[in-house]
Order: sequence, then structure tokens, then C-alpha cells
Amino acid sequence: MTNNSVTIVDYGMGNICSVVSAFNYLGCDALVVSDPDLVASADTLVLPGVGSFRKAMTSLREQELDLALEHAILNRGRKILGICLGMQLLGERGLEDGETHGLGLIPAVVERFSIDEVRGSKIPHVGFNSVNVPPGSRLMAGLPAEADFYFVHSYRMLPDGVPGLAANCVYGVEFLAAYEHANIFATQFHPEKSQSNGLLLLKNFIECA
Amino acid sequence: MLKKRLIFTLLYSRGHFMLSRNFRLQKVGDFNWLQRNYDFSHIAYSIDELVVLNVDRDGACQKEFCDVLKLLAKGCFAPIAAGGAVRSIDDARALLRSGADKIVLNTPLYESPELVRALAAEFGQQCIVGSVDVKRSESKGYAVFSSCGALEIEADLSGWIDQISAESVGEIYLNSIDRDGTGQGYDFGILDSLSRKIGVPVIFAGGVGNTAHLAAGLADSRIDAVATANLFNFVGDGLKKARRTLVDSGVNLPLWNIELMERHFASLRKVAQ
Repeated sequence: MTNNSVTIVDYGMGNICSVVSAFNYLGCDALVVSDPDLVASADTLVLPGVGSFRKAMTSLREQELDLALEHAILNRGRKILGICLGMQLLGERGLEDGETHGLGLIPAVVERFSIDEVRGSKIPHVGFNSVNVPPGSRLMAGLPAEADFYFVHSYRMLPDGVPGLAANCVYGVEFLAAYEHANIFATQFHPEKSQSNGLLLLKNFIECA
Repeated sequence: MLKKRLIFTLLYSRGHFMLSRNFRLQKVGDFNWLQRNYDFSHIAYSIDELVVLNVDRDGACQKEFCDVLKLLAKGCFAPIAAGGAVRSIDDARALLRSGADKIVLNTPLYESPELVRALAAEFGQQCIVGSVDVKRSESKGYAVFSSCGALEIEADLSGWIDQISAESVGEIYLNSIDRDGTGQGYDFGILDSLSRKIGVPVIFAGGVGNTAHLAAGLADSRIDAVATANLFNFVGDGLKKARRTLVDSGVNLPLWNIELMERHFASLRKVAQ
């Protein structure tokens, strides 16, 4: 494990230090990087983030990090883990502050929870909630069939019709809590804030080929 | 379904963690002392959230407080709420950059609601925890205090909670000054006295002395999270045992594999250090 390192994409959105300390805790170096050349040539990528979809995409594009990510993931086949807003940015498009194109790596639209679908629950969805772990998941190997994770979000993707493996969570509506397909991994929740379950997930991400 | 939470609160002032009884503070020990006597990482494995408050009356040493927060955050993989002496957006940002996920506010709710609104606009309402300190009162039933319990505010408890939760606060940390540090159990009369259901999640604090007190709080549908700040009631692996008892009794807490954290990751942690 000690020879592992991850490249964390820093595009100015959100709290990166807890993601760094979780990887460090797992004996893994975490390089925080905003240079597109370093992102394009990275082996293992993490895209964290908290905040607005539009702002985040604008910031990625201005720094040409979108192209760098595409190069690393699509041309070089390197693996990526998107966390929270980072997962949403992998989507087709986001509807926060108007419509914005995402990185298009997960074929789903990022929309706000509607009041109807959450059936009277509060928006944002904040707190620990249980996630159905799909059989055969590489990201969630070793976890029980239902595992608890920490969520803070108002926008979500739905699992309908996405290729790959979807782990779902129910908050009035069943939404996409985690996703994996080939070299693309993503979690709507915060593994770095989800105790043993989250650390195990991050460890799986580092170790899976 | 959303889970309830078990929260540990650390009080810190000028280099020391503190014990509070009826809001009178007593020095306990520094960060090394906390590690030695409580093996903080073990406490951190057993909780669902950590609250760290700078309880220095003059709000001094914010930089030093941020340094301690960074140390705590390194070994805590649960959400962290931090506060005390937040008087500007920059103060809040410094805490968030030091590992906090949420900001706890008390006095600004009363003295500078415009700051609270600005913080909610900047970081989101889910980031703001409104701390409400209450004390039994002959005239009002319960009176609300700001400034570390020193200043009684005019509003009654129900009105105050409605006011702050309607606007900028994503969660309420409700603490009993009378029960604080006494170990006599929660004062449920506080919740009984409210005229309406609180519209945001409620963290209940003040008086926990044993596991049964935590269980009573978690069993109450008006309470989303139970907090204890008493270092001595859950000494050693007390909190871990309390958690196991609560989970075994069927309380709706998130399930962690604490043994996995301790055994499996111990060697990795050494490598990382």
C-alpha cells in the first residue's frame, strides 16, 4: 500500500484536507494538483468538491482541467473517483444555476431533489443514510449488503438506465449513491466522513485494478 | 432512512481541553493529555460526529484553536462541527480549512444576524449549527442565553428557535445550562416547553452521565442527535461500550465496524505517520 499515491484535483471548490487525510491514513500519498499537465499524466485521480455545479465546471474549463481529465480517463484509461459534487461533474449535465454540460462520463442528469419525490423530507439531504451495496461491487467489496454513509447534497442523479453498477440510497426517491463502470468510480456521499465504511471504500478504490 | 447520531463534544480554551459544569470551566489537559488518557482515535471511531468548541471567554487564540482542530481532524473520519469566537466570514473559513464541515454559532445569532445570513449564503445553511443555551426560569419557563451563558436574551425559547431556524440555521445544538456537566440526565422539559416542532435537526446536550441517558435521548422522536461533553463519564473505551449497548438495543445509529478500524487500519496508520 505504501507505494500508492492518488492525485487529487484541486479546482478551488470545497474542503480537500479531509480527503487528503483519509488517503494519508490509509498509507497513501495524496498529491493536491491544479496543473492540467499533472492531471493528464496522473495514474489515480480523485475529483472532490462541494458547491455549485456551474461554478465548478466553469473553473475546471478555465484551467483546462476538463481536457486533462478526459485525456487521463478516456485516452489513458486511468481510474477516477468523483466524490459528492465531483461525482455530479462526471454526469451528462447539471441543472444547478441553469443548465451546464458536465464531463459526460456518467450518462445521467444532475437535478435537484423535488419536494414531491422526497415526500416531505428536508432538502438538503444531510446525515448518515444506508446504501444498498450491489453484489460484485469493487468499490464496496467487504461491506455488508446495506452500509451507512454520510451525505450532504440537494442535487442527485437517478439510477435509471445508467450502465455499470449502481449503489442506491432511498430518500423519498431512490437515487444514485455510488457508481462504478470500468475505470470510472463515484460516490454522492462522503467516504472521508463515513468512518470504517468510507475508509474501506477508499482502500478498495486504491487497490482495485 | 436517515440515522440518528451520537456526538462527542470537546471544549477547548488556551491550550487545554476543559470540563464544564453549569458553564463553569475547569482545565483538564492538553492535546497530548487527550491522546494519552482517552486515545482520541478510539473515541473518534465510536462517534458519528465531533463538535469542537473554543470556549475561551475572550475568543482568543483562534489560530491556535485551528491548529488543534487540524490535529483532531487528522484522526477523525466523521463530520466535524467547530465554533466559538466566530465573528467574521474569515473566522468561519479558517475553521472550515482546518477540518470543520460545519460552523457552530451562538452569540452572533443574537448580536449579528446579518453575519449568520452571510455565512449561510457563503457556505450553505447545512453548514450552520445554531447553538442555543437554555436555563430554567421562574418567569419564562426557560430563558435563552448568549455569550457563553453570561447574557440572557429577551426572546422566549420557542420564539427564538422559530426565528433562527426559519432563517439561516441548518441545525440546532440545544444545551441545558442547569444540567451541563452534572451527569443527571437530559432536561426533556426543554422540548416539552416548545409550542411547535423544531423544523431543523436537533442535537440535544447537557446532563449525560451514562449510557441510559443517551438511550433516553435517542428514543425521543424530537431529538436527532445526542451529545455529551463530559470527558470523565466515558473514560477509556466508555464511549465505545456505550455505542455498542445502544446499537445492540436497536437504536437507529449508523453501523461502524469499530474493530476493523482499530485492528485493520492500525498498521497502516503507523506507516502514514
